[in-house]
Amino acid sequence: LTGHGRAAARVGAWAAGTALTALAAGCGTQAAPPATPTPPVQAAPLATSLVTAQGTWAVTVMGGTAATDNDFWQLFLRPAGGTRWSLVTPEGVADNGGLVATAGAGGTSLLAGFRPSQGLAFSPLAASSNAGQTWAPGLLDAALADVPDALAVAPSGQTLALLSDGSLSVAASAAAATAGRWSGLATRATLAATGPGRQCGLAAVNAVTFGPGNAPMAAGSCVRRGVAGVFADVGGRWQAAGPVLPGGFGADQVQVLGLAADGGGGNVALLRAGADLLAAWSRDGSWTVSAPAAAGAVTASGFGPAGSMWVLAGGRAETIGGPGQAWRALPAVPAGTSTLAAGPGTSYDALAGSGSTLTVWRLGAGGWSQVQVIKVPITYGSSG
Amino acid sequence: VPGMNSGLSPADPTLVAAFRSALLHQGLIALLVTAFLGLLWATARVWRPATARTAPRAGVSTRSGEPRGRLVLRVGFGLLWVLDGILQAQPKMAGGLAAQVIEPAASSSPAWVQHLVNWGGTVWSFHPVTAAAAAVWIQAGIGAWLLVAARGPWSRLAGLASVAWGLVVWVFGESFGGIFAPGLSFLTGAPGAVLIYVLAGALVALPDSAWRSPRTGRLLLAGIGVFFAGMAVLQAWPGRGFWAGRINGQPGTLAGMVTDMSGTAQPHFLSALVASFGSVAASNGFAVNLAAVIVLAALGAVFLTGRAALIRYAVWVGLAFCLADWVLVQDLGFLGGLGTDPNSMIPWVLLFFAGQLALTPEPAPEAEVAGTAEVAGKAGAAVMSAGAWSVAAAAAVAIVLVGAVPMAAAAASRTADPILAEAIAGDTAPLNVTAPGFSLTDQNGQPVSLAGLRGKVVLLTFLDPVCTTDCPIIGAEMKQAGVLLGAADKNVELVAVVANPTYRSTVFTQAFDREEGLDTVPNWLYLTGSYSQLSKVWQQYGITVENLPAGAMSAHNDLAVVIDRAGQIREEINADPGPGTASTQSSFSVLLSQYARQALASS
Repeated sequence: LTGHGRAAARVGAWAAGTALTALAAGCGTQAAPPATPTPPVQAAPLATSLVTAQGTWAVTVMGGTAATDNDFWQLFLRPAGGTRWSLVTPEGVADNGGLVATAGAGGTSLLAGFRPSQGLAFSPLAASSNAGQTWAPGLLDAALADVPDALAVAPSGQTLALLSDGSLSVAASAAAATAGRWSGLATRATLAATGPGRQCGLAAVNAVTFGPGNAPMAAGSCVRRGVAGVFADVGGRWQAAGPVLPGGFGADQVQVLGLAADGGGGNVALLRAGADLLAAWSRDGSWTVSAPAAAGAVTASGFGPAGSMWVLAGGRAETIGGPGQAWRALPAVPAGTSTLAAGPGTSYDALAGSGSTLTVWRLGAGGWSQVQVIKVPITYGSSG
Repeated sequence: VPGMNSGLSPADPTLVAAFRSALLHQGLIALLVTAFLGLLWATARVWRPATARTAPRAGVSTRSGEPRGRLVLRVGFGLLWVLDGILQAQPKMAGGLAAQVIEPAASSSPAWVQHLVNWGGTVWSFHPVTAAAAAVWIQAGIGAWLLVAARGPWSRLAGLASVAWGLVVWVFGESFGGIFAPGLSFLTGAPGAVLIYVLAGALVALPDSAWRSPRTGRLLLAGIGVFFAGMAVLQAWPGRGFWAGRINGQPGTLAGMVTDMSGTAQPHFLSALVASFGSVAASNGFAVNLAAVIVLAALGAVFLTGRAALIRYAVWVGLAFCLADWVLVQDLGFLGGLGTDPNSMIPWVLLFFAGQLALTPEPAPEAEVAGTAEVAGKAGAAVMSAGAWSVAAAAAVAIVLVGAVPMAAAAASRTADPILAEAIAGDTAPLNVTAPGFSLTDQNGQPVSLAGLRGKVVLLTFLDPVCTTDCPIIGAEMKQAGVLLGAADKNVELVAVVANPTYRSTVFTQAFDREEGLDTVPNWLYLTGSYSQLSKVWQQYGITVENLPAGAMSAHNDLAVVIDRAGQIREEINADPGPGTASTQSSFSVLLSQYARQALASS
C-alpha cells in the first residue's frame, strides 16, 4: 500500500469500527416491540369469608409481605351467635401457598385445603366438625387452584376440587377425600371442548360447586363476549348452566369470580362483566342477575347468608343482600382491611391484618368501630 | 442462573480451611515437582561435556535478543497472571466467586450467555475448593511460565496457554466481558480485562519474525485505535446514560459504578478518593463524559495514524488516562476480598507500550543471524543456559497441571464434592452404639422393624410428608445417595420415619413418595405408625417434633443416622440441607453414600 492507500485504509477501518460500534450501541438500547395485549383472566383472590352452621369463617393472609415464605394464611372463626373471633388455622402443615375453605356436608363442618408451596407439590386437607377445635387430615394429591372456590362439598359428602391446571377432581365421599381417593372429572381442555365450553370459549376455570341434584358445577372465564361460563355435569354430560346476561353486557368479557351453593338448593355467583360486578342467584335452574356495580380491582369477596355477597374492590366495600336487591356501598373500610364477614346480624365485620396483628372492626350506626385485636403467633422464617 | 450459587457463605470456615489445605497440599506437590526437575537438570549439567560447563553464561545475551515489545507483553502479563493467581488464593474465593462474581457478571447478559456461564459456574459451585485451587495454580503457573520462558517454543506455548485460559476466564468468569450486556463502557472495563490477556498471549505466541517487522506494531496500534474510537462512540452515544451525572435523582451510570466501588473494603484514603470522584461525576456528568470521549477519540485517532512521533506522546497520555481510570473508576479492581484481577487499565497500558516499541523493532541478535562456526561455542553455552530456562518452564507447566488436572477430573464429575455438605452439617464423629429398635409400618402398610433390616446398612432419617422445605430436599438426597451407591445399593436400605404428629398416615407417605419419585425406589421405606409409636422413636433418636400454630409447618430437627449391618449406629449427621441448592443437594448425596460405603466396609 502507498502512504495514501494506508491512510485511506485507516480511515476505512475507523469508519467500519465506528459503524459497528454504533450498530452495537443501537442494538443494545433498542426497545422490544410491545407485546400484543391478551384479555386478562382474572380470578378472585383467596381472601374471603363464608357462613356455616358453626359460625362465620374468614380467610386472610398475615405475616410479612416482602417474602412470600413469610405470608401465612389464617383461618378465623366467629361462632354462630357469637361476636368474638378466634384463630382456628389447622396445624401441622404450612399454608404459605394459600388456604381454601368450604362448608362441609350440610354446612355442619368445614373443609380446608392448603395450596402447595416451595417443595410441596400436593394439597393437604383438614376437616373440622367442632368449630375448628380439632382437625382431621386429608389429602388431595394434586395442586389446588389459587381461587377461593376451589373446593366444594355436596350434602352427600361428595367433594369437588379445582386444580391449578384447571382440571376437576372428585372424591365420592368425605372419607374418600380424607383418604386421598380422588378421581379426575374433567380437564380444562375437555370442558372447553364440550358444546357449552366451545360456545363460551372457555379460557380458565375459576370456581367449582354443586348445583341442583348434587350436580358438579364449574365456572370460569369466557373468551366469547357476553357469555357467562357456568357449567353443570348432569348425568355425565356438561351443560351450560349460567345466567344469561342483559344485552348491555354483550360486548363485555365475563369472568365468574365466585360460585357457591346457597344452602337452599340454589347457587350464587359473583361475576365481572367488563368494568362491572354482577351478582347472580339461581333457583330451579333460573337465574336472577343484579344491577351492576363498579368493579375496580377485587381484593376479596365472599358469600354470606341468604344469598348475600360482599366485595372489596378498589378500596371500596360493596354488599348485596340477595335477589332483587341492589348493591350497597359500605362506609369506607378501615385501613388495612383484607376481608369482610357478614354479621353479626345485619352488620359486617372488617378484618385488617398487619404483620401478626389482626384488628376486627364492626360496622355500626356510627360507622366502623374497633371491637377486637388478635395477636397471631406467626412463626416467621419457619418456611423460609 | 440456577446452578452456580451453592448458597454457602463465602467466609464459611469449613470451605476456607479446605481451600487453604488444598493450596498447601498442591503447593507442596508443585514444589516437589519443581525440585525434582531442578535436580534432574543439575544432574544432567554435571554429566555434560566440560566445554559446555565452562563456557561463559550466555543466558543474558540470548535473552537480550527478545524484541522489546514482546518482552513488555511477556513479562508484564506474566506478572499480571502471577498477581491474579495470588488474588485467587484469597480465602473467600472458593465459596464466593461463583455466587458473588460470576453470577452478578452474567445477570445482565442475554439468556444464552447466562446458560453458558451457568455451566462453568455450576462446575465451580459443585467443586469450589478444587476449582478455586485450580485457578490459583493455573494462573500462577502461566504467569511463571511467561516469565521464565523468554524465547523459543516454550515461550510461544506460554503465550498460547495464556490465550486458552484467558478465553476460559473471559467466557465463564467475565460473561464475555459483558459485551452482550447493556452499559458497555471502556471506563468500567469493557470488553473484559482477560480479553486483553488473550490478545497479549496471542502476540507472545507469534514467531520472532513477526516481531522483527514494524507491521506488527502498526497493526496492533491500529487495532487499538479502532477499538478506542468505537469505545468513544459508545461513550458518547445518546441514551446510554453516560452524559447524565444523575438519573432520576440517583447517580448516573458512571457515577453509580464509582459510588458502588467506593463501598468496597479498602484503605480509607482510597475509598475517600473514589467517593470524591463519584461526587464529581454525579455533579458534572456531562463534563466528565466529555473528557472521556475526547481522550478516547484522540487516542484512537493517533494510534490509527501509525506515526511513531505522535504515538510516543499518545502512550504517555494513555498511561495517565488509564491510571486515572484505574484508580478513580475501577478502584484498582482487586480489592474487597473477591477481586480476581486489577481490571483492564494496566493491561491496556502494557498493550499500547508494546505496540509503540514494536513500531521500531531492533535487529536480530548476532547469534541468531550469524549461524557460523565461530559462534558455536557461545551457542553451546546458550543451549546450556536455555536448558535451565526450559527446566524452569517445565516446572511452570507442572504448576499449571497441578491445578488443571484435578479441575478437569472434577469438571467431568456430575456430583458435587462432599465438602459443601460437611460445611453445612458441621463436624461428625464416628460412633459405635446400638441403634434403638422400632417396629413401624411402611408406605405400603407392611410392618417393618429395624431388627428385620439387620444385615443391611440403613440410612435413616426423619421426614414430614407435608413439609415444604427441608424434607423434600432430604428425600431427594437420600434417593440420589442410593443411585450413587450403584451395585452396593442392594445392601443398603434408605429409611425415613414420619416426623409429623398430624399428617402421618400412609396416605401422606405415599403422596410424598410420588412427589419425590421415591415410589419407584425398591430399597426405600417410609415408615409411620400411631402417634405413640412415632413419639417413642422420635425420643429414642433425639428428634423433637411439634406442631406450630398459625400456618407454620410442623417443626422437627433434621437428622440422618448411618446404621451398619449389625445394627450399630456409625454416624449421626446433621441433615439440615442448608440452602438446598443443586450443589449442596448433590454434596449431601455424596456424603451419605460415602458414609454408607464406609459402614458396608466396616461390617
